[in-house]
Amino acid sequence: MAPPGGQGGGAVSTRGAGARRMKWALELSLGNARGRGDRQSNQGDVMYPIGYSDKSVPDTSIQETDKNLVEKRCWDVALGPLKQIPMNLFIMYMSGNTISIFPIMMVCMMAWRPIQALMSMSATFKLLENSNQQWLQGLAYSVGNLLGSALAIYKCQSMGLLPTHSSDWLAFIEPPQRMEIMGGGMVL
Amino acid sequence: MKPPAKMSKPTSLFVIFFSLFVMSEAVFEDQVGKFDWRQQYVGKTLFAHFDSHSQSSKKLFLATDKNIFASFNSRTGELFWRHVDKAGPEGTIDILLLHGQDALMVVGGGRLLRSWDTNMGGLNWEAVLDTGSFQAACFVAMQDTVKHVAVLKKAAISLHYLTNGHQKWVENLPDSDTVQYQAVYSGGEEEVYVLGVVPNSHLTIIAYSLEDGEIIKQRSVEAPWLSSVESSCVVVGHGVLMCVDTATLALYALPIQSLDLEVSPGFQPVLVSSQPHPARSPISEFFLQLGPDHHVLLQLNADGYTIAPLRDFQPAFLVSFSTTGEKTVAAVMTPKNETVKKKKNVASCMWSYSSDVFPPQLYVHAFLKKDDSVGYRVLVQTQDHALTFIQQPGRVVWTREEALADVVTMEMVDLPLTGTQAELEGEFGKKADGLFPMVLKRLSSQVILLQAWLAHLWKLFYEARKPHGQVKNEVTIETLSRDEFNLQKMMVMVTASGKLFGIDSKSGSILWKHYLENVQPNAVFKLIVQRTTAHFPHPPQCTLLIKDKDTGLASLHVFNPIFGRKSHIAPPALPRPILQSLLLPVIDQDYAKVLLLVDDQYKVTAFPSTKNVLQQLQEMASSIFFYLIRSDQGNLSGFRLRKDLSTERIWEVVLPTEVQKIVAVNGKRPNEHVHSQGRVMGDRSVLYKYLNPNLLAVVTESTDAHPERAFVGVFLVDGVTGRIIHEAVQRKARGPVHFVHSENWVVYEYWNTKSRRNEFSVLELFEGTELYNSTVFSSLDRPHLPQVLQQTYIFPSPITTMEATLTEKGITSRHLLVGLPSGAILSLPKMFLDPRRPEVVTEHSREENLIPYAPEMPIRTEWFINYNQTVARVKGIYTAPSGLESTCLVVAYGLDIYQTRVYPSKQFDVLKDDYDYVLISSVLFALFFATMISKRLAQVKLLNRAWR
Repeated sequence: MAPPGGQGGGAVSTRGAGARRMKWALELSLGNARGRGDRQSNQGDVMYPIGYSDKSVPDTSIQETDKNLVEKRCWDVALGPLKQIPMNLFIMYMSGNTISIFPIMMVCMMAWRPIQALMSMSATFKLLENSNQQWLQGLAYSVGNLLGSALAIYKCQSMGLLPTHSSDWLAFIEPPQRMEIMGGGMVL
Repeated sequence: MKPPAKMSKPTSLFVIFFSLFVMSEAVFEDQVGKFDWRQQYVGKTLFAHFDSHSQSSKKLFLATDKNIFASFNSRTGELFWRHVDKAGPEGTIDILLLHGQDALMVVGGGRLLRSWDTNMGGLNWEAVLDTGSFQAACFVAMQDTVKHVAVLKKAAISLHYLTNGHQKWVENLPDSDTVQYQAVYSGGEEEVYVLGVVPNSHLTIIAYSLEDGEIIKQRSVEAPWLSSVESSCVVVGHGVLMCVDTATLALYALPIQSLDLEVSPGFQPVLVSSQPHPARSPISEFFLQLGPDHHVLLQLNADGYTIAPLRDFQPAFLVSFSTTGEKTVAAVMTPKNETVKKKKNVASCMWSYSSDVFPPQLYVHAFLKKDDSVGYRVLVQTQDHALTFIQQPGRVVWTREEALADVVTMEMVDLPLTGTQAELEGEFGKKADGLFPMVLKRLSSQVILLQAWLAHLWKLFYEARKPHGQVKNEVTIETLSRDEFNLQKMMVMVTASGKLFGIDSKSGSILWKHYLENVQPNAVFKLIVQRTTAHFPHPPQCTLLIKDKDTGLASLHVFNPIFGRKSHIAPPALPRPILQSLLLPVIDQDYAKVLLLVDDQYKVTAFPSTKNVLQQLQEMASSIFFYLIRSDQGNLSGFRLRKDLSTERIWEVVLPTEVQKIVAVNGKRPNEHVHSQGRVMGDRSVLYKYLNPNLLAVVTESTDAHPERAFVGVFLVDGVTGRIIHEAVQRKARGPVHFVHSENWVVYEYWNTKSRRNEFSVLELFEGTELYNSTVFSSLDRPHLPQVLQQTYIFPSPITTMEATLTEKGITSRHLLVGLPSGAILSLPKMFLDPRRPEVVTEHSREENLIPYAPEMPIRTEWFINYNQTVARVKGIYTAPSGLESTCLVVAYGLDIYQTRVYPSKQFDVLKDDYDYVLISSVLFALFFATMISKRLAQVKLLNRAWR
């Protein structure tokens, strides 16, 4: 949608073109419809406010800036995840490596948000489809999210939540099978 | 004691914090006796006296072979008090004399003379006697009052005051190197007579003056037929010495007179007489035992020269006298269905009780009833060490199983499932026979369960209406069944007397007992559980291997551990001496594990030995090994089984016996499970445990006892290959060594002769950070030796026994159960005995929860699992897993038996006793209703909004 200011400006200019015939006029009679009652014939008593025109005028003067705005907006969306990384780093630093409920919740949030974002990539691409640099932006967006999840994994790692050590698999080692049977003792 | 190394402040703070945090388990006051029980025993009776001091007294005094002086309630058989003296010859009770309120005792082979107050059991006084082996003692009376006690030793006689134990006089006996003085007698006169004998020559009688110990008379009587005064000479009537001649069967009454009596060949005749009161002469009636079952009651006539036979008792095993007031009773026990017969001089009464064990001892208590007639009570001690107290009409008032004071070995067996439970179990065991029948079967068993549950509910409801005290839940064999968590088990105890007991572990009541006759006193027992209760239609089966030390021959007793009945399975004949036994995990078609018995020719006998078993053995023979240790030769040897059930020696280790001797050996317990195969380090890598199931810990002690040269050695030997994995020698150390071998560690305790203190040492074996072979363990394929870590700690008390807790899956942390001489049982966390305890605390060690090393091992009173229920002379501790992973059942036995449960890692799998079910369920219900109500309210609100 175009900004409302632009539309208002357009309406004033049309009114200006029509007002060349007389300096000004006030139509007080309600019944006098000036040929535009085709649409409103059944409710001719509706009075339009001053300066209203129901003809939309094609607007071409601000196309360029609009495009820029869209582009900027799309980049905002695409770089959003990357911008969050410093904030996440700070939170990570503040929460420490102890395993308690708050750090765990934060890590969960940090891990879940990029994953959620990556899963709804198609919705994001729809947002970005007006942009020329759609692919670049998509790439930046996904890289940002991947970085975010990498950060979350790193956090898990530093908290020791990832089963990367042999000790994490210790419980699954079965006791070895015994090959020999042995017994005996002191001579009774 | 001060710790040698100063700990830094944070370290010590850490230690304090940690130790507070680790163990705060103790028994709460309301838990006392809830999960534990204790039974106190005294042992085999040597002397027994009834308290005849007052008419209504119900005390009974016993002195036993366990060096115990005890008082019982004669109505209930309960212990009033008990004094446990030192074990061994130092505390032996030589004689127990009772007079009025004083019980006099000579202890330790004539070392001490003690007087006890029989009312309270307190010690009146104790006097140290001169050296010399004890011979006899008696009360000495003067003018009808007993004031002194005379003690006869090998070379001296001494007289002590009864009131304070002070010595009145002591006299050396003349010619004590040739004359054997054996008896002392006082008849209430001013004299004390000492009888001595020169075997086969003459009899010496010396009369001492009571006042100053002067020899008044000394007389020698020719008696070439006499070899011993004891049991063949008694004083009868007014100072007449009656002796029996074993060779010519004559009774010598000084002057001599002979009688026509027949004696069984090869039997030493015994005389029995009675002196009711020390101030008076013995009664003139006496018994002469002519054979093992032949007694004659004789009477010395008033003239003092002639003897008249009163009555002949044959068969009669035991005789005894008892006196009350002026009346004396003679009791005769005849084997006619073990009848106890009473005879009061002429008039007799008879009553009987039944027993299947021969009674070797009989004590009679006669008392005057209110109507002046004589009543009797009898205490019978039978060969199986059971004490039975019998009232007059032959009613058994109580029985005490004193055999349990000497438990040799025990096992805990799971109780059988109830019929319904077994039904359910059986359903899964059987082969499926179609879908529909299975469903039907399932439904029917569910119906049975429902029925049982309803019956249970009804019973609960019915009993709830009764007053609380009347509800009896007596445990009988018929009602025995496994509980939900398998916390109740059957304790099968084997005692030194050869009596087997089945005891309910929950209540401690004896459910069955079985006496094995013809068991030698020094026999060796080995109890083996061949089949547990898990194989339902087949009854559980235990086998007791009894080996006679003298002949070396062994016999097997096969029985059902739940009911105690002898099994109908015939054990194999064992013609050759048996050296060892070996229980294989191989089962026969009846699910009984196979027991191999190795005889002195190293041939193996299998039991059971069905075709199936022999075939399995042939297949497996190459993987069956056994080891034998002969400590007298210092020889360890390993054998391999051949297919024809002979063996071949594959290794031998000799530890020279002139340097050290093998004291003990211990493998691992076969039912032990190790959950974790390694230990997690601070950097989260794994240090794998060296879990060799064939590892043996062999403990040796040096033969040189000098404190500077004495040592204790611990050898870790692989039982299959004979490879010495590790040896740890503790210099300047002495036994007795107590040790536990489990998982990958050995903990041992010894006496450090240099520092003169007890020390604990722990050895732990690790494979390293990588496993050699994680799927199979074969001793024949282990090229690398394990890494061994060791640490030693000071323990502030000597210990008597040690055992480790055991749980079902081995997840729970381990504790060591240490029996202390004080009777306490300490539950020591294994965590404190960890060779990885660091001297300097690091990040990693903190991560690992390692306690910083401190040389002293603490003993915290809250670690005593038996609070004030001390177990006297703990001999062994038995641990068994329960169905709950957190819970380990513990039985400590010695003189007493104590049973309890321990929770080494607290009860992590059980809700607490005081769990607030009401609160939790009410909150749940409240939340549920709140949800329902708010849902309804929300609906109404939505509807209203839609209308708006």
